[in-house]
Amino acid sequence: MTDSTESPDLTRRNGFTRIKEGTYGGLFAVCAIVTLLTTVAIFATLLYDAVVFFSEVPVVEFLTSTEWSPNPAGGGQTFGIVPLLIGTVTVTVMAAFIALPIGTLTAIYLSEYATPNARSILKPLLEILAGIPTVVYGYFALVYVTPALKATLFPEMSTFNALSASLMIGIMTIPMVSSISEDAMSAVPDSLRQAGYGLGATKFEVSTGIVVPASISGIASSYILAVSRAVGETMIVVVAMGAQARMPAVREAVFGIPYVNPADVLLDSGMTITVAMVQIAGGDLVGGTLPYDSMFALGLALFVVTLVMNVLSDIIAERYREEY
Amino acid sequence: MATDTPSEAGFGEVSRVRGIVFEYLSLGASVAGLLALGILLVYVAVDAFDLANASPEWLLTYFLTLVVPYLGFCLYSVGDPTVTRRAVAALGGGLVAVAGLFVGIETFVSPIPRLNWPVAYLFVVVIPLTAYLTYVGNQGRVGAVGLGLIGRAVGGAAVGLAVGTLFLVFDQFVWFLAYTFGVFPAVALYVYARRSPSSRAATAAPVVGVVGILLAVFARETISTYPSDLLIFLWTIAIPVAVVGERLVTARGGRTAGLLAGGVPLALAVAGGFLAGTVGLPGPDILVVVALVGTAVAVYLQRVIEDGEGLAGLALPVLLVAGPLVGALVVGAWGVPAPDPWLDVGFLTEAPSRNAVEAGLYPAIVGSVIIIAIVAVLSFALGVGTAVFLEEYTAETGLVGTLTRILQINIANLAAIPSVVYGLLGLGLFANLLGLGFGTALTVSLTLSLLILPITIVSAQEAIRSVPDEFRRGSDAMGATRWQTTKNVVLPEAMPGILTGTILALGRAIGETAPLIMVGAATTVFSAPNSLFSKFSAMPMQIYAWADFPQPEFRYGVVAAGVMTLLVVLIGMNGTAILLRNRAERGS
Repeated sequence: MTDSTESPDLTRRNGFTRIKEGTYGGLFAVCAIVTLLTTVAIFATLLYDAVVFFSEVPVVEFLTSTEWSPNPAGGGQTFGIVPLLIGTVTVTVMAAFIALPIGTLTAIYLSEYATPNARSILKPLLEILAGIPTVVYGYFALVYVTPALKATLFPEMSTFNALSASLMIGIMTIPMVSSISEDAMSAVPDSLRQAGYGLGATKFEVSTGIVVPASISGIASSYILAVSRAVGETMIVVVAMGAQARMPAVREAVFGIPYVNPADVLLDSGMTITVAMVQIAGGDLVGGTLPYDSMFALGLALFVVTLVMNVLSDIIAERYREEY
Repeated sequence: MATDTPSEAGFGEVSRVRGIVFEYLSLGASVAGLLALGILLVYVAVDAFDLANASPEWLLTYFLTLVVPYLGFCLYSVGDPTVTRRAVAALGGGLVAVAGLFVGIETFVSPIPRLNWPVAYLFVVVIPLTAYLTYVGNQGRVGAVGLGLIGRAVGGAAVGLAVGTLFLVFDQFVWFLAYTFGVFPAVALYVYARRSPSSRAATAAPVVGVVGILLAVFARETISTYPSDLLIFLWTIAIPVAVVGERLVTARGGRTAGLLAGGVPLALAVAGGFLAGTVGLPGPDILVVVALVGTAVAVYLQRVIEDGEGLAGLALPVLLVAGPLVGALVVGAWGVPAPDPWLDVGFLTEAPSRNAVEAGLYPAIVGSVIIIAIVAVLSFALGVGTAVFLEEYTAETGLVGTLTRILQINIANLAAIPSVVYGLLGLGLFANLLGLGFGTALTVSLTLSLLILPITIVSAQEAIRSVPDEFRRGSDAMGATRWQTTKNVVLPEAMPGILTGTILALGRAIGETAPLIMVGAATTVFSAPNSLFSKFSAMPMQIYAWADFPQPEFRYGVVAAGVMTLLVVLIGMNGTAILLRNRAERGS
C-alpha cells in the first residue's frame, strides 16, 4: 500500500536495479497466481473424472437412486447419492443443534459480559477446540462418548453411530461460530448500547434486543460457514459413524402417516459423502475404474455445496451488513 | 423491550432474574465445549499413562519429589505472600474437597469408571494450579530465567532431533556437497560484503549459492568417497551453529565469552558424538542434538549472567531432573507398585506391531517430521510471496487491481474447501497426472502445502498490514525501491506475525488425515521412510489405523498413547506460536 506510484520518482535507477525490481515483483505475482491455479486445478481434476463417471452412470440415477454400493461382492454396482445425503444431513443438522446455540451464547458472553481478563483466557482456549486434529475427535467419539451414552441414555445404541459423531463435530465447530459472531458483535458501536441503556433497557435487553439484531449478518454468515465445515468434515464420521449406506426405515404412525423415527438414524451407523470417498480411497486405488471416478463425482458435489455456501455467506455478510 | 409501555406511570421494578440467568447460561455455554474436551483429555491421559493402576503411594511420592519443589520454585519467583497463601489453600482445600466429593459420588450415585480420587485430585487441582503458577511465576525474574532455560534446551533438542531425523530421508552426501560448494561460499561472500562497502559481492552471493548447489547435485553422481557421517554433520551443522552462537555472544559480551559460548558446546558435542559412536549409539544424531541444545543454552546463559538478575532460576533444570530421580529411588527402595505407561520411550522408538505391548510410533513420527519440513518451506515461501504481492505490489485500479480482487475472493473460497477435496486434487494431479506416486512423501507434502496455503496467506497479510505506513514512507523518502522497502522494513517488522501464522497453519497440517487417505498414504509402515518417493505414514494416519483395532489394549492403550503424542507436539507448536506473538506484542 505504498504511495510511491503517486509521488515523483526521485531515485536514480540504473538498468540493473530495474531488472532486479521487476524480477522480484514477478516472483511475488507468480506466488499469487499459484493460489488461482489451485482453484482451477481442483475444479479441472474433479470435473475431468466426474465427466467420465457421468458418461457411465446417468446424472439422474446418481441423484435419485437410493442405494450406494460401489464394490458389491456379486457385481452390479449402484451409485445413488441419496443415502449418503441423508447421512450428511443428519450429521450436519445434529452438529448445528450443538454448535449454533452454544456458539452464539459464547459470542454474546465474550463480547458483552466477559471481563477483559476472562476474555484473554477464554479466547485462546476456544481456539484449541478448533485446533485439535479431527481424527482425535473421532477417536474420542468412538472410544469414550459412545460407551458413555450407551451406558446412560441409549442402551440400544450401536458401536458406530451418527449421534456421537455429530456431538463431536458440534463441539469442534463451536469456535467457528463464536469467533466470527463475536467479531460482528464487537463491531456494533458502543453508542447503540449506550442509547439502549439511556432508554432504561437492562443489560440482557441490550444484548439480545440491540447487539444481536445489529450484528445478525455476521452471525448468519458464521452459521453458514460452520454448517459448511460440518458438511465437509471427514475423519470424525469415518472413525465414529461407521460405513454403512442405509436408508432409514419408514414407519407408519396412526392413520398410516409415514414417518421416520430419528432414533433409527441417529443411534445406528450410517454413511456420509465424505465417508464414501474415504472408503473407496482406502481400498485399492486403481485409476480409471468406476468407483475411482465416483469419488470425484462425490468430491464435485461436495465442492459445489461448500462453494455455494461460502459465496452465500459472503453475500449475506456484505448485503445485510449494517453500516455505522 | 422495557420502553414499549410508555403509558405506565412510575419506573416500577425491573426483574433481575432473567438477566442473571442469561448471563450464567452464556457463561455455561462458553465453558461447556471446553469442559467436555477437558474430561476427554483427562481420560486419554489416564489411559496413555496407565494412571488408573497408579497406587496412591506412587502418586504421593512423585507429588512430593517433583510437584511440590516445582510449585515452590514458582512461588519463590512470584515472591507474593498472598499468592502463596492462596496456592497452599487451593492445594490443601482441593484435596479435601475432591476426595470428599469423589467418595460421595461413588457411594451415593454410581462408581466413576477408571478414575480414583488421587487421580481426580491430580487433574482437577494439581495440574490447573501448576499451569497457573507457571504462568504467574514466569512473570517474575527468577521464574522467567528458569523457564526460559528449559525452553531453550527443549526447543534445541526438538530441532536437533528433527534435523537428525530428516537425514534418514535426504541424502547427507548431497547436503555435504551443497553446503561445501553452495551455501558456505555464498554465506562467506555475503558476510564479506557486509563488512566491506563493495556491493558487488552481495549481488554475487545468491548466484554463487545457486551455482554451487547445482554443481553439488551433478557432482553427487561422480564422487564416490565421502568423509564419515560424523564429520559431515560436524562440518555442515555443528560448526555453523557454533559460529552463529559465537557471533551472537561476541556482539554482546566480548571476545572471550563468545569463544566460550561457541567452543564449549562444540567440544561437548564432538566428544559426545565420538563416545556414543564407540558404544553403538547413533553418534551423528547425538552430535547434532548436543550442538543445538548446547549452543542455545550457552547463548542464553551468557545473557542471563551478563544481566546478573534471577540467577537462582538456573537451578530449575537441576530441580526437575533431580525430582524424578529421587522419586524413582524412593519408589524402588520402598517397593511401591508403579503403573506401566503405554506412552514410554519404547513407544516412540519402535515400529508398529500387531502386539499391543510392542507397538510403536517411530516410522509415523519420522513421516510427520518429513511432511512438516517440506510443507513449512513450501507454504512459507508461497504464502509470504502471495501476501507481499497482495499488500505491497497491489494497485487499486487496472489489471493488477482486478487481479488482486479476484485473488482475494479466491483465497477466501479456498479456505472453505473441505480437506478431502484437496486430497482428490493431490490424487488426480500430483499422484496420477504428474506421476509423483500414490502416498509418497512428495505427493502428501505438496497436497498439504496447498491445503494450508490460504491460512498462511491470510495471517501473513494481517501481519504485513499491521506494519505502520509511516515506516514505508520513511523508507521511500530515503530513496529505497519497493523491493528494498519490503525487504528491509516491512518483512522484518511483520516477521513475528508471519511466523506465528505459519506455525499455527503447520499445526493444522500435522493433524490432517483425510487428504492423506485420499492420496493413498499407507496406514501402517514398519520401517522409517528413506526417500521422498518411498511409502510412508504419519502420526494421524497411524492413529486412524489403530482406532480400527477392536482389542481393548489398542483402544484404551496404544491409541491413547498415540493421541497423547500428537497432542503434545501440537500444543508445543501452538505454545511456541503464542509465545512469539506475545513477545512481538510486548516489543511494539
